[in-house]
Amino acid sequence: MASRGLQASGLSEGTAHESFLRYRKYRWLKIGAILSLLTVIIYLFVDVQPRHNGGSWLGYLLGTIGALLIFWLAMLGIRKRAMTRGRWSLKAWTSAHVYLGLALIVVGTLHSGFQFGWNVHTLAYALMMLVIVSGIYGISVYGLLPQGLSDSRSEMTGPQMIHSINQLDKQIQISAQPLSDEDSAVVIGSLGEDPFGGGVWRRLSGAYPRCGNGAALRVIRARHDEATGKEAQALDQVLQLLEKKAAGLQRLRGYIRRRALLEVWLFVHIPLTFVLIAALVAHVVSVFFYW
Amino acid sequence: MAFLLRSISRSAEGREIVRTSRVDDDLLKVGRDPDSDVHLNDLAVALHHASLEQVSPTRLGVSAEMGMTVDIDGSTTQFGQIDLNVGGTIKVGPFLLRVLAVELGSEDVAIDVSRPESDEEDDRFDTRRFALQSVMPGKRAMAWTLTLGVLALFLAWPIWSFFANRGDAQQTATGFHADRLWSSGSLSASHSGLRDNCQACHVTPFVPVQDESCKACHTAVHDHADPSRLQQSTPNLGGIRRLQQSVGNLFGQGPGRCVECHTEHEGPQEIPPTPQQFCADCHTDIRSRLPDTRLASAANFETAHPEFQPSVLIQWDNERPQMRRVALGPNARERSNLKFPHDLHLAPRGGVAQMARRLAPRFGFGDAMQCADCHVPSPDGVRFQPVDMEGDCGMCHSLAFDELGGTLRTLRHGSPAQVIGDIRSLYRAGGPQRPEELSAGARNRPGDVNQIRAAVQFARARASLGSRADQAIRAVFSQGGACFDCHEVVQPPAGTLNYGIRPVAFPTRYMLHGWFDHRAHGIVQRPGQARVEGSAACASCHRAPTSGQASDLLLPDLTSCRACHGGESTSLPVASTCAMCHDFHMDGGTPAMLLRRTVRGRRWETTVTPIRPQPRPAAAQRR
Repeated sequence: MASRGLQASGLSEGTAHESFLRYRKYRWLKIGAILSLLTVIIYLFVDVQPRHNGGSWLGYLLGTIGALLIFWLAMLGIRKRAMTRGRWSLKAWTSAHVYLGLALIVVGTLHSGFQFGWNVHTLAYALMMLVIVSGIYGISVYGLLPQGLSDSRSEMTGPQMIHSINQLDKQIQISAQPLSDEDSAVVIGSLGEDPFGGGVWRRLSGAYPRCGNGAALRVIRARHDEATGKEAQALDQVLQLLEKKAAGLQRLRGYIRRRALLEVWLFVHIPLTFVLIAALVAHVVSVFFYW
Repeated sequence: MAFLLRSISRSAEGREIVRTSRVDDDLLKVGRDPDSDVHLNDLAVALHHASLEQVSPTRLGVSAEMGMTVDIDGSTTQFGQIDLNVGGTIKVGPFLLRVLAVELGSEDVAIDVSRPESDEEDDRFDTRRFALQSVMPGKRAMAWTLTLGVLALFLAWPIWSFFANRGDAQQTATGFHADRLWSSGSLSASHSGLRDNCQACHVTPFVPVQDESCKACHTAVHDHADPSRLQQSTPNLGGIRRLQQSVGNLFGQGPGRCVECHTEHEGPQEIPPTPQQFCADCHTDIRSRLPDTRLASAANFETAHPEFQPSVLIQWDNERPQMRRVALGPNARERSNLKFPHDLHLAPRGGVAQMARRLAPRFGFGDAMQCADCHVPSPDGVRFQPVDMEGDCGMCHSLAFDELGGTLRTLRHGSPAQVIGDIRSLYRAGGPQRPEELSAGARNRPGDVNQIRAAVQFARARASLGSRADQAIRAVFSQGGACFDCHEVVQPPAGTLNYGIRPVAFPTRYMLHGWFDHRAHGIVQRPGQARVEGSAACASCHRAPTSGQASDLLLPDLTSCRACHGGESTSLPVASTCAMCHDFHMDGGTPAMLLRRTVRGRRWETTVTPIRPQPRPAAAQRR
């Protein structure tokens, strides 16, 4: 899997922990770059009339290369389930997957001859670009996020984080007993808040504007400012607990957010790869059906 | 009476802990308030949530406080009753108050208070929920759904559309068809009407577009040359192009197909002008590959183009003109059988000019004769109409021979026999009256002498008339006569006066494989020379003012054209590709390139733009 190489290497030197990106002194980066450069040069020097398109001899050539690349790149999903060593090790394969995938941007774009429209051909191109861009995103976040991922947890494991919030909930439940019905209703909002609540967007943005705990915190803080005597004492206790819970929730949700940012690309990269292959088949069949 | 409360909770190990208490009262207060009889320490319970009261020996009333609800035997309500003989359950927040059936003889109501475990907690804090997958649809489900969607929409639907509309021209021509999802780009401007009708060109699946599809509409377009000769004359291709062609052949995409040049789906563009190299590829040294061709090599009008070889009338086979292509040069001659000195007619001074001035009020001549006085352009302005004697020469060269009551009688042009007849009739009509003596019924003076005399005199008068008609006929067909001045006269057989005229003919088009538009050359400005128009523009190419013979071939040669026209890229005023004069598909008419320019409002005006419409020539006005 893509993360494995990076995490294992820690981006350190030495062949033993060489990451898949640096595999054999960037061998596949060089191969990918040469393929791209060669394609660009041929594209510039070949005079296709009236203008470059997928139906010229160069267009067919680039299209064939592109299609074969797409099928081969998609094979990583099968290949990764069988680890081997050496030249065709999974690391080599992944390295090639990344750099040839990047070269596919050049091959695919020049195959199109920069002619786009609302049709199956541009659909295939758009899907290809989405898959590649999501892959680039995936590699980027795997390079950047894991460090922050452990930082954000303050040395805590996931269950520990959940446990601490559970404990706080129990304490709040007890401390809030003397509160009036109105106040306790607000505190129930905090207790009922699902730390994992919200959909994909909440997770990715890390913003929970309708958080029950946040709302409770605001109300109780205001009530605390105007209350006196015994009530103020009780509110003070609840307020402190709510603040602790807010910190706990922030930590937990920060972690969830990083996890989401780290994982979301796979929900684009993998399903769209299959959709791309479908669009590619439709593209190729349509071209020859209406030759 | 009293309430017997049993508070049931569970230890960490799951062991049941039961605490009992007794409330000696009719009313039981339930709430979170520590002073309540049943103290339920959960925030979901109000401080004073509900009260339980025995309303009869067998009934227990349950009433929630204002705004609160309780759950009695499964139904949420504010007030309710429980039959103490049967018992029942009351749910307050997360707590369950189970009212047990009152035992016989007892007045105490036993109530179990417990807090049932819920799985909700566990579910809320399931560690699997850390993963994004917990809030996303499955990858596999997404992949399948979208994949099948794409295949259905972009593959199955268009294919269905193809077969559903196959062969139904009416239906395919209108409305949206799913196969348009396959269109790789807009059609060219002129084919845009076919955008809903893919099958107009794509007839058979997996078979490249065939020429037949094009020819279904383009019926008048024909091949540039015989396909086999075309292929023979194509130069040896470079490695890539040869490979390309052999691969193309493999898939039935042979060379010379219409779509090889006329590519489609390249956007709403127009057909670009054919580049010079397109022709030069084969024609630069065409004889090396096609030894039997009569075509000379050509690659660039400015530097490599053979001298013009117009089709000229060189001789007559009796009445039939014989045309032959001749190279232009000082000795090039044509035989129209007409006598016409251009120099005499165009001289600014002299008899002709003077006559023009004299007739100017009637015919609109200038100080001297102009080309347009006799030569009338064809309606499209490209060429000239054949010279017509009566219209174009008749203003000066009158064929009048008699005047009757102010009306001029003219000899019939083009019919020598008619001319002879008309002259004879003139002289006979003006002859002597037949003497009365010769009439049978006349009352004559007695004696034959008188009758004989009259007959002799009449015969003499008539004889002299006949010889005057013969003289007039001879004069017309001889030097100085009306016919002889312009025509080759065929002498009559001995003893007759049946003169003849050699037929006259001109080619209407000298250059059959090249295009020349006179209208575009109405104003001429040769490099380094003044801008001229009218006769001077004609004379800048045609050396008519110095030509004394009708047989002079007055066509300008290559050098004359090259004064202005260069190759595709040139320093001369007019860059000219092959396509300006020649059409690939060899239509007799205007080359497609010029037509397209005209249609698109970008007409090529050779020297000066724009050319104003010329005033109608005087000769044309007369008609």
